[in-house]
Amino acid sequence: MNVRRFNNGDADADLVVVGSGVVGALIAEQIAGAERSVLVLEAGPRLDRAQVVENWRNLNFQQRVSSDYQSLYPQSPLATAPLEFPPNGYVLLTGKDGESFHQGYIRAVGGTTWHWAASCWRHLPVDFQMRAKYGVGRDWPISYSDLEPYYCRAEEAMGVSGPNDPALQSPVERSRPYPNDMIPWAHGDTRVADIVNPHGYRSVPIPQGRAVRPWKSRPACCGNNNCQPICPIGAMYNAIHTVQAAEAKGVTVLAESVVYAIDTDMNNRVTAVRWYDRNRQSHRATGRAFVIACNALETPRLLLIAANAQNPGGIANRSDQVGRNLMDHSGFHCTFLAGEPLWLGRGPAQSSCLVGARDGAFRSEYSANKMILNNISRVGPATQQALKLGLTGAALREEIRRRTIHGVDLSISLEPLPAPQNRLTLSKTRHDALGLPCPDINYELDDYVHRGYDAAAQQLRHIGNLFNAAEFEVTTSLNANNHMMGSTIMGSDPKDSVVDGNCRAHDHPNLWLPGGGPMPSASVVNSTLTMAALGLKCADSVQRALEHA
Amino acid sequence: MDVHLGSVRGGWLVASALSCVAAAGPSVAHAEVSASEVAEQGRYLAIAGDCGGCHTRPGGGQAFAGGYAIESPVGAIYSTNITSSSIAGIGAYTEAQFSRALREGIRRDGTHLYPAMPYTAYAKLSDADIRALYVYFTKSVHPVDAQPPVTRLPFPFNLRTSMWIWNTLFLPTARFTPDPHRSAEWNRGAYLAEALEHCGACHTPRNALMAEQLRREFAGTRVGGWYAPNITSDPVSGIGAWTRDELVQYLKTGALHGKAQAAGGMAEAVGNSLQYLTSQDLDALATYLLSVAPIRDQSESRARDTWGAPVEYEAELRGRATTAGSEQPEGNALYSGNCASCHQPTGAGTADHSYPALFHNTATGARHADNLVAAILFGVDRDVSDGHALMPRFDATSYVQPLNDAEVASLANYVLHEFGNPAVHVTIEDVAGTRSRGFAKGLVLGTRGLLIFAALAIVTLGVWILSRRRRAHS
Repeated sequence: MNVRRFNNGDADADLVVVGSGVVGALIAEQIAGAERSVLVLEAGPRLDRAQVVENWRNLNFQQRVSSDYQSLYPQSPLATAPLEFPPNGYVLLTGKDGESFHQGYIRAVGGTTWHWAASCWRHLPVDFQMRAKYGVGRDWPISYSDLEPYYCRAEEAMGVSGPNDPALQSPVERSRPYPNDMIPWAHGDTRVADIVNPHGYRSVPIPQGRAVRPWKSRPACCGNNNCQPICPIGAMYNAIHTVQAAEAKGVTVLAESVVYAIDTDMNNRVTAVRWYDRNRQSHRATGRAFVIACNALETPRLLLIAANAQNPGGIANRSDQVGRNLMDHSGFHCTFLAGEPLWLGRGPAQSSCLVGARDGAFRSEYSANKMILNNISRVGPATQQALKLGLTGAALREEIRRRTIHGVDLSISLEPLPAPQNRLTLSKTRHDALGLPCPDINYELDDYVHRGYDAAAQQLRHIGNLFNAAEFEVTTSLNANNHMMGSTIMGSDPKDSVVDGNCRAHDHPNLWLPGGGPMPSASVVNSTLTMAALGLKCADSVQRALEHA
Repeated sequence: MDVHLGSVRGGWLVASALSCVAAAGPSVAHAEVSASEVAEQGRYLAIAGDCGGCHTRPGGGQAFAGGYAIESPVGAIYSTNITSSSIAGIGAYTEAQFSRALREGIRRDGTHLYPAMPYTAYAKLSDADIRALYVYFTKSVHPVDAQPPVTRLPFPFNLRTSMWIWNTLFLPTARFTPDPHRSAEWNRGAYLAEALEHCGACHTPRNALMAEQLRREFAGTRVGGWYAPNITSDPVSGIGAWTRDELVQYLKTGALHGKAQAAGGMAEAVGNSLQYLTSQDLDALATYLLSVAPIRDQSESRARDTWGAPVEYEAELRGRATTAGSEQPEGNALYSGNCASCHQPTGAGTADHSYPALFHNTATGARHADNLVAAILFGVDRDVSDGHALMPRFDATSYVQPLNDAEVASLANYVLHEFGNPAVHVTIEDVAGTRSRGFAKGLVLGTRGLLIFAALAIVTLGVWILSRRRRAHS
């Protein structure tokens, strides 16, 4: 079914999706497959992979070793995304822990899966019941078993490779095997697991959206090792794959189309969204169902910007929870030189992870953690360190080599709890090129996370000892992980939550807000697979609603 | 010859002359062979004939259940269900009806098949092989009762009866006849190449009426967006400089490091058929192919797998803004951004040949750049027992990066100039042509062929109407 386009640029579709990242693309593809017309409005541009790859190769050394994954991606001048080199000030961070919330995300067709690492974790069943089991945080209105079939579908859609041996799974509760078995471990993964597992740290393979064999027109991963910031060969799942598949099914995707207004009727049903095209001309898209799947910053920003006479506090915001409960996995790093060469940095950027502290009774007191054995080549940092030693020539080369093959970087994620004061609001002073308010974010972590940091740091010192670590360092400031969650939080009570278990807005019967925003608990694992699963559950809900309309 | 069925060793017994599938030639008499052995021989012959290449829909279609759309400019020709189903397949065919379909292109109901079915090659099959195939398809192949889509070409292409004129002109009536002056191995290879594997269906140029030009057998021709190259024994234009072992390796794996790799229809032929041939049959096929009369293209002076050398370009690209993704992308930027991660900046590929070198490569050294352009647009997908090679596609459906005609032309010309035959130039129109001809296999009707086919159809219709009138008058 084709979207109706009018001479003035307006459009009409059964479903209008705002945002073309993994969540919006999966929904668009499914609904188009059900013979419905689907329009996707994406604020950012279409990207050219070769251009991004070349931009990465041309990036200066300092930005590369600082993990600048943002500035190589072209932006639309009308749809700003955060930049840090130098900072573009799009997002204003305030609060005690504001500096730990520097998020990187891409506004472009395909969204931030252009530069994710493709880790495809599931939440644990207990993560859905943090309040009931541990007396902290919030419970989901749905259970793990409600979402489990959608996890399977998301894994299929993204071509995930993961361990089919239950001894290596986290969680083990699965109704289907992974589409592809785990990416084989390299020496470093195996060696680290052998050393830490007897002590309960439980190193397991990271389920990931790539495969070592061709998968549905995707080539096999050959270990270029720069999943972030760009897979140069398209082996890693990227929502652009789903966008392409959706377009083949008749979906219309309009890039550089910035939605800024949402129209509602007497019954508070959404009737249309309005967008600016690249020439700043405004157009209107009418539809029967509407999905807003930007991300957990841009979705609440749009909902607040789109406040109208009937919804003066913002669309979907009668609970006053839109923009609140913002979460991200608070991160920190542990680096050292192991007493033996581990040869990390070959294959995909992430391969194995210590999940022994993912769950336990302690979660009533302090945050769980996971420790990723980063598999990103250590040549960059090793070179920085060796240069500081003043070495030259063969000695420099040998020192870089030694540090590269002995180097270990553990990336630790902690679990924040949802807190209303961690909040996105609209700036009163800063505006983007279209005159739309920029986001302000207030972020303060409580002792739950800080106690979790202390526990993890103690575990890390033990791990360092197991490896006879030299130059053992643990960072003390927390960093962002680009896993934004919570800002359109899910719940059964419309008074304290924004959406229901299908990500449908309590306030608007034909509006869905899927993605990271609805997640009431963060767990310690990367959020994308859960976002995708919620997106597919939302798609079923949208499909049913369209059938009954 | 009658088939006698009786219970022997728990199976059936067939007393008949049957072809031996080994290297001794098309037909060797056996006194008694069990039906299961006949069916097994039929299975092997069906693989050697690549029946599944068209009759099994790729991407999960049930074996031999049809439904594969062979695109033509006037619509899709759908392959038929040839399972043992008596409803949707050929389960109700007699052996004579089966033989007529294979060798004459006429179905059980009397309608003509389109020559997308290579019956002009299968016409040469021995009686024994026809029987083995018949036993296999009607007794061993799992019945699938689902009907594939029906081919519905517009008038006058729907007049299948016009095929009788074509068949009168071009359908060989003789079975394969061994050459007594040649070895058994050579004769076996000839039988495989001419009849079962129907190599000429792609590699032999066709005349104005779309029949294979036997004087130019295996001289190479366009097949849809691809180019089935000259595989005569000419050392410059053909494959005469290849050793027999090299040719066997190529047929078995689809890859010959430093020379060639199979893509398009040839990748399918290797994946579906050639890789499963016995080593004796592969040897025989290679022996025969290397004996085929050489045909030289006088414009060629160098074998297509001998062009080019590695280049070093990387440093020139660094430290300045890329032109990839701009309105006027340069070939080197397109190559670096889209290709160099696998084929390497030097074009040398990887040491283990997982990613082939682009120099000393038939795709970049050939006089026709069709296969280079088609590989860029449609990718390479070759699934053989020693590995699945997949180069992603870069056409509009690409998951990696859709490239437009100008970008593909610029990229192809860079590759040709740096790694291949620099005299060959690709235009934007060439790319558009390859894109529109698409990923076709076997007989593809060009515009000219379509017009001629239409004329034939109309003449046939006229003759039929006249004859009816005469009958009515008399």
